[in-house]
Amino acid sequence: MGSATRIAGKDLKLRLRDRSFFIMGIITPLALAYIFHLVFGNAFAADSLELEVGLVDLDGSQVSQSLGEVLSAMDSEGILVLSEFDDVTAAEAAVESAEVGAFILLDAGLGEAAATGRPFTIQVVGDVDSPTSTQVASSIASEFGSAVERAQLSLATAVGLGQGQPPPEELAAWGQEAAQRPPSFTFTDVSADTRQLDANTFFAAGMAVFFLFFTVQFGVVGILEEKQGGTMARLLAAPISHASVVAGKAILSFALGVISMTVLMVATHFLMDAQWGPPLGVALLVVTGVLAATAIMGVIAGAATSADGAANLGAIIAVTLGMLGGTFFPIGQGNEFLARLSYLTPHAWFMRGLADISGGAEWTAALPAAGALLLFSVVLGAVAWALLQRKLGT
Amino acid sequence: MTTVLAAEGLNKKFDDLVAVDGVSFEIAEGETFGLLGPNGAGKTTSISMVAGLLEPDSGTVHVAGTPIRTNSTDGRAEIGLVPQELAIYPDLTGAENLRFFGRLYGMRGEELEKRVAEVLEVIGLTDRKDDLTREYSGGMQRRLNNGIGLLHRPRLLILDEPTVGVDPQSRNAILESVEELSGQGIAILFTTHYMEEAERLCDRVAIIDQGVIQAEGTRRELVSLVGKKDRISVTAGGDLTGIARAAAGLSGVTEASASDHGIEVLTSDAATLLPSLMSCFSSVGASITGVQIFEPNLEAVFLHLTGKALRD
Repeated sequence: MGSATRIAGKDLKLRLRDRSFFIMGIITPLALAYIFHLVFGNAFAADSLELEVGLVDLDGSQVSQSLGEVLSAMDSEGILVLSEFDDVTAAEAAVESAEVGAFILLDAGLGEAAATGRPFTIQVVGDVDSPTSTQVASSIASEFGSAVERAQLSLATAVGLGQGQPPPEELAAWGQEAAQRPPSFTFTDVSADTRQLDANTFFAAGMAVFFLFFTVQFGVVGILEEKQGGTMARLLAAPISHASVVAGKAILSFALGVISMTVLMVATHFLMDAQWGPPLGVALLVVTGVLAATAIMGVIAGAATSADGAANLGAIIAVTLGMLGGTFFPIGQGNEFLARLSYLTPHAWFMRGLADISGGAEWTAALPAAGALLLFSVVLGAVAWALLQRKLGT
Repeated sequence: MTTVLAAEGLNKKFDDLVAVDGVSFEIAEGETFGLLGPNGAGKTTSISMVAGLLEPDSGTVHVAGTPIRTNSTDGRAEIGLVPQELAIYPDLTGAENLRFFGRLYGMRGEELEKRVAEVLEVIGLTDRKDDLTREYSGGMQRRLNNGIGLLHRPRLLILDEPTVGVDPQSRNAILESVEELSGQGIAILFTTHYMEEAERLCDRVAIIDQGVIQAEGTRRELVSLVGKKDRISVTAGGDLTGIARAAAGLSGVTEASASDHGIEVLTSDAATLLPSLMSCFSSVGASITGVQIFEPNLEAVFLHLTGKALRD
């Protein structure tokens, strides 16, 4: 292990000295994230994407129908495409098959709750691969819930007034009491799937994970560079194992990846107000994400015959996986096949993990995505390890 | 003398190409052994197997009694390798390069710093030790390349064409340092395709071609192996035919003949014959104005053994 860290330390010094790490690992992703943030910051607005929102009205009251009317009006204006469903099962099937990106569920009793001041719940069920539709549905539901709350408050005040004309000071007290009631409206996310990254965080995370694959290349491809440069013979002639050499390069990849991601997270938080989520969850995703990226780039380095070849192949793979993984835009929006395909990439899992822990969720919400990333790391890491060891023996 | 390196029956094939075929040799402490052959003869493949970089298809390598294998680090610390290609990091300084490789060989702290300073002194780079090696001249880089191989005080130093691409001044400095190291008791395995380097440095030489050692021995043994003679060329005046006849009667003279400006004498040992030859010339009244000795060289031996010139 000592030899591996010494090799990694030497390589880290070289990378920092030749500035390639700063350019590829920090400056370029940060600049692109910021440019995307400036240019496409509103890309998630409803008029730029096809938003398919469903409605399940189990209440059928005048209050609940008013939401249907609002959504119909938005449909007519082309803001969104509304689909109405008779029951939850049909609506869930529609989300599953990507017919709609999300649906709003109004439970029976909403109208009565609005009239009596009882608590009520509005649910939004969204497809994780349709973040925009889900976000829009959530906003509409939230606004509708607030409107119902205001109506409850007005009603409570009016009822108080109906008991006789109170003195002005008593009227003011009723008003205060009504205002101080605990909120009767709760907006419920039914699962982490409904949580979304805001545009700033999306672009910051997308660029960070996209360039992560280029950054970690500096480590593992170093094996090929040292072979071509002649220094590998000297390393292998030293009293250190082949495994130490491969481990040294992997440690460098991991270190560069973690440094890059950390710097980008801090920088985008302050520059772009990116909200990455609970630190423990983010750390888990970063560590597993960097491991997965290192494993993939290790396989490429093990399969390539030259450093240039590995860099070129690595770039092709990184761009393809990055695009498919939705680092530039939510690729699964409205396309179930692409949505499913995207989960063949670590990028998609990383982005999903961040979405899962956004909006105040616990760090444990990152565990499924981190688990998937770890699986990538273990399986492809084993392949990379074998290929790179073999490369040193030839 | 203690045997430091023993390579026995080394064979290596790359697909259908036989790169090394039954190569065996030994090197003793303080001995410089040369592998002389043209490019592609199998020199680098042979030393790669000796250094543990390449696993032989068959055969064994022992350094200081320890078997050398690619999958083991045993015995590696006894070997110093100077690869043919420059094996230094251009974005590290000379001192940083030395420190890095020194640490890989287990050197630490004061011992490492002291040894780095010593090696920098030996290779004449003390003044430039803190400069990035990318700023060094080709000769300086080559000297550092050699210095790294010496850093951990190996018992066997492998020098693979250490003077390729260097200027004459640096080349001479490198050859001098190899002579000095040999004097310190280090066993040196030296590959070259420069005949004059092998003649100057090597106690014994193996001539290798097409993966096979064609002949091995001291320079004189190799020359005698192919029957080549020393030639003494004497520029003289007088009765050249008579002088030649007198010289031919001397013991040790194989052949003596008159030429346009003097006498040509062939012998198996010019150095031994020369005093008696001069006495003979003096006794027959020859006026001698010049003497040159031409010893048969390894180039001629190589040509004789392989049918081609060394630089083919």
